[in-house]
Amino acid sequence: MSRYFRNIFESISTLMTGLGITWRHMIRIRKDNVTLQYPEERWPRPERNIGFDFSEYNIIRSRLQVDIDDCIGCLKCERACPVQCIKIVTVKSGAKGEDLMDIGHTGLTSNGTKKALIVTRFDIDMSECCYCNLCVYPCPEDCIYMTGGPNSKKHPIDYEFSQYDRNDLIFKFAKEVEEEKMAKYLPQKEKVEA
Amino acid sequence: MGIVHGDLMTLNIGPQHPSTHGVLRLKVKTDGEIIADVEPVIGYLHRCFEKHCENVTYDQVIPYTDRCDYIAAMNNNFGYAVAVEELMDLKVPERVEYIRVIVSELNRIASHLLALGTFGLDVGAFTPFLYMFRDRERILDLFEVLCGARLLYNYIWVGGLSHDFPNGFEEKIIDFLDYFEPQLDEYNNILTFNKIFIERTADVGVMPAEVAISYGVSGPNLRGSGVKWDLRKDDPYSIYDKFDFNIPVGTGTVGTIGDCWDRYYVRMLEMSESINIVRQAIKALPSGDVHQALPKKIRPPKGSVYKRTESPRGDLGYYIESDGSPIPYRLKMRSPAFTALSVMGEISSGWMMSDVLAILGSLDIVLGEIDR
Repeated sequence: MSRYFRNIFESISTLMTGLGITWRHMIRIRKDNVTLQYPEERWPRPERNIGFDFSEYNIIRSRLQVDIDDCIGCLKCERACPVQCIKIVTVKSGAKGEDLMDIGHTGLTSNGTKKALIVTRFDIDMSECCYCNLCVYPCPEDCIYMTGGPNSKKHPIDYEFSQYDRNDLIFKFAKEVEEEKMAKYLPQKEKVEA
Repeated sequence: MGIVHGDLMTLNIGPQHPSTHGVLRLKVKTDGEIIADVEPVIGYLHRCFEKHCENVTYDQVIPYTDRCDYIAAMNNNFGYAVAVEELMDLKVPERVEYIRVIVSELNRIASHLLALGTFGLDVGAFTPFLYMFRDRERILDLFEVLCGARLLYNYIWVGGLSHDFPNGFEEKIIDFLDYFEPQLDEYNNILTFNKIFIERTADVGVMPAEVAISYGVSGPNLRGSGVKWDLRKDDPYSIYDKFDFNIPVGTGTVGTIGDCWDRYYVRMLEMSESINIVRQAIKALPSGDVHQALPKKIRPPKGSVYKRTESPRGDLGYYIESDGSPIPYRLKMRSPAFTALSVMGEISSGWMMSDVLAILGSLDIVLGEIDR
């Protein structure tokens, strides 16, 4: 009998303790509000004061962006990708470090490296990307990075790059050139002798 | 009062069910309202983790380990990195070891918060779930500052870390711990010692120590059964032997040793131990370069290694077979949640229908790790 009443007493008292906590939270709701009204409010970008001389590292996980004028086509990012979502095709540009105006190819990167290759295809399939950031570290010219972070001046952070079509998530960074103009840079096919 | 034995009814819980914590199907054989047998059907989340690892280089495996136990990705990275380092006979700087301990203990807190919150949710307590997720969010924010990602970090690399701590990050962690420590009392008041919660979980799903050991259960589930077994103490890896902390075990405070409540409470106590470890580690954090020992090319010598670490779910092991090439020849992952799920049928038969989800929730499984 006493146990029966003790159970009832314990239930009510612990329930009251719990309700007291929720009540306290309800009073402080304005102060401790953690919910963001998403379309009106955006998630604040955390301050990333890296220090330790690693300021060149971009540690935002967002959409990948390539400054194609700086790309030397070394394929390091393609090899680093664990899911093979980066596809690069290059051809030799006969003249190392020279601008080829007709196809919009610049000879020097912003670091001053002479480019020996023309990047004809640089596709990143962001629907396959696993946001591991492994492609960003090996780049010798710092031309592939995730938007935002230290590059936020050039490319503000792009959290929601949603598309209606999955194919629209394949980002093509190589310059679009007409085929006739490109043809003279492509390796000539050997004529088959009859 | 005997049980009337009629035909058993088969009831499917899942694969799409909010209480199965992922895509898990439970084939439940019921005798009226009493469970005769539970058979977990797994494999819905199989992503060929081990086969993938045979095709990518050692550093590219790390993003895949993130995706096994996606709730405690730091601990998975940690286990893998420790295993490859042992295979390569690599010595990492002291600062790296300390930072690894700090982040993996923070991740342990985050993982336990999720486990406890969803466990409360399974037995019908919604409010603590919201409070725990709110606090877990703070840890994820810390990690976002640290490495840019909130869940899949790719932070602990073989031989080092991807980044050092940002300036003032230690203070941020201390701030969080100061905020978080009183919250534990709040959780205890609102959920742990709530009479309704105790009635739902105490004496339910009792897992005796012999059963737990014979099934290979590890981690908080084993400690809930009263077995003092923690790899951080019993087989110290990294620098865990430098810290002073206790291993909480289930004592059967409100019921029998090894019931759901004990498994729950062990996790609660473990969080305060983790806070303790993080505080000690931050106090002793040495300076140094975290990129110093990063190998240019990871090419371990021929041989094999099995290294186990204590993840929030238990004994996480990596077996790596190397043939001297930059790609692992074979990689096997021993997942603690798999063994925890395998004991499900043994401990839940004889209980009521509504206890199945309480037992499942108390085991704290992650399907990403079970199916791999």
